Amino acid sequence: MRHLRHLGRRPILPPPPSPFTIPLTSSRPFSESAAANPSNKTQIYVSRSHDPLTNLSLEHRLLQTSHPDSTVLLLYTNRPCVVVGRNQNPWLEVNQARLGSQSHIQLVRRRSGGGAVFHDEGNVNFSVICPPRAFHRDTHAEMVVRALAALGEARARVNERHDIVVDRGDEGGGTFKVSGSAYKLTRLRSLHHGTCLLRSPGLAGISGLLRAPGEAFIKAQGVDSVRSPVANVGVEPAAFVDAVVGEFRSMYGGGQAVEVDGFGDEVLEAEKVREGYEEMGERAWVYGQTPRFVLSTEATEDDPRERPAVPFESKLYIEAKRGIVNKLTLNGTSLDSPSIVGASIWEISDWASRLRDAGAGVDDVQEVGAWLNGVLATQP
Amino acid sequence: MASIARTLMAVRPAISRLAPRAAPAARTPFRTFSSSRMSLLRKYTKDHEWVDLSADHKSAVVGISEYAAEQLGDVVYVELPEAPGDWIEQGDAIGAVESVKSASDINAPIRCKVHAINKALEEKPSTINQVPEDDSHGGGWIARVDVDEAGVKEFEGLLDAEAYQAYVSAVDEE
Repeated sequence: MRHLRHLGRRPILPPPPSPFTIPLTSSRPFSESAAANPSNKTQIYVSRSHDPLTNLSLEHRLLQTSHPDSTVLLLYTNRPCVVVGRNQNPWLEVNQARLGSQSHIQLVRRRSGGGAVFHDEGNVNFSVICPPRAFHRDTHAEMVVRALAALGEARARVNERHDIVVDRGDEGGGTFKVSGSAYKLTRLRSLHHGTCLLRSPGLAGISGLLRAPGEAFIKAQGVDSVRSPVANVGVEPAAFVDAVVGEFRSMYGGGQAVEVDGFGDEVLEAEKVREGYEEMGERAWVYGQTPRFVLSTEATEDDPRERPAVPFESKLYIEAKRGIVNKLTLNGTSLDSPSIVGASIWEISDWASRLRDAGAGVDDVQEVGAWLNGVLATQP
Repeated sequence: MASIARTLMAVRPAISRLAPRAAPAARTPFRTFSSSRMSLLRKYTKDHEWVDLSADHKSAVVGISEYAAEQLGDVVYVELPEAPGDWIEQGDAIGAVESVKSASDINAPIRCKVHAINKALEEKPSTINQVPEDDSHGGGWIARVDVDEAGVKEFEGLLDAEAYQAYVSAVDEE
């Protein structure tokens, strides 16, 4: 039931019309037994869902159940969302206040590594699952580069970070990232998925969304995003899907594209997929999977950066693990109240009242509380 | 095999510091860094984890192989298990690493129960690249675990150093 409540927080938008026009042999629910069938060596799926959790769960299920010798392509487009990597810190990567003010943008944590990216209806995601022995980080980025070339974008190439960039130096523009990659490696299977910005209407807002007010104060374990200037390729999503399917077929042969519309109702698979979907929607996953981090208003031995000015006199220091406060000190004095220590940061809607409950002074309650509300705010 | 040779180049200085009388590594690339008694009890999985079983068969140390560390590339984050933890079945995740935008699970090589973790990896994940098969202080080991009879039985079924080396050579040539 929790995921229903989770979904209910947002107005459910009517699904946009499917941008995909490729001839499809069938349109049906995802079948786990077909994915696992050894005779299905090459599998191509195009998801009609625009729900990021549905698409990531479908992808994860394909990773788990597709036949170990098969090569699988999945294409999907999500409604607007920010997707952080498995080992990232959402208070460091995402401007939570800005995200909160744009309630149609969902925050998601994926299972693969890498950095934070923005998705919307002008971005098509490609995902290739293959046996580990065939895995190279650039193989399928190169596949997408060939698809873009076939669509007339000859300046696309894979860079040293395994991203796809477009050189627009001749237009005085420089080099722009159009696609970012991330990977999930398991014993039997390797997954490479990537974004491709085609006609994203939301590009102008990305840098503001992916810049957190706490950045100068937080030192986190895990993975920092690498910022790159981004641009749209400027091709139609439907044409891109056709071209990628074409390149994939020329690499692996066979395989008619199957348009997938939701999940099948075989009890076990529905249950497994639903479990994955629910887990991924939990705030305990999105925020609670955060590696250990320290927020300090003063330079520390581990993080000697000079700090920007803060609107209060006290020295504030917070340690958190898995999104839970381990320690909070003001001017070196620990506040040991259970309203702070052991509290899940994502459940703290007002730091001032927590500080008051923990016995902080009046000034700290007001000033530090207000500041923390901005820096460690969490999308409701 | 080229990849394995490169790994050894990188770790050999550390080997000679730790064990000045170590045999030339090129001939025995998967020898352990601990005593020869221990090296007899080190085995590998096809998932590229290693496990050192103690002489009394009650405990073990777990880590990832040099081959795996080389394949992963620069490790930037290690997610360690909870310690003490519950019993973990063979093949279930005992931790995870991230390297070059890739999340990879570390699987329990045998049924085991974590009693200590290598906390130094949290601050210095690159240790996994430098000395992945070192089970001493400062090494890249992942966890120290308790083992029961079922785990010992599973241990018997794993690859010894020689068989593992043959396995990765075959994988590389595929």
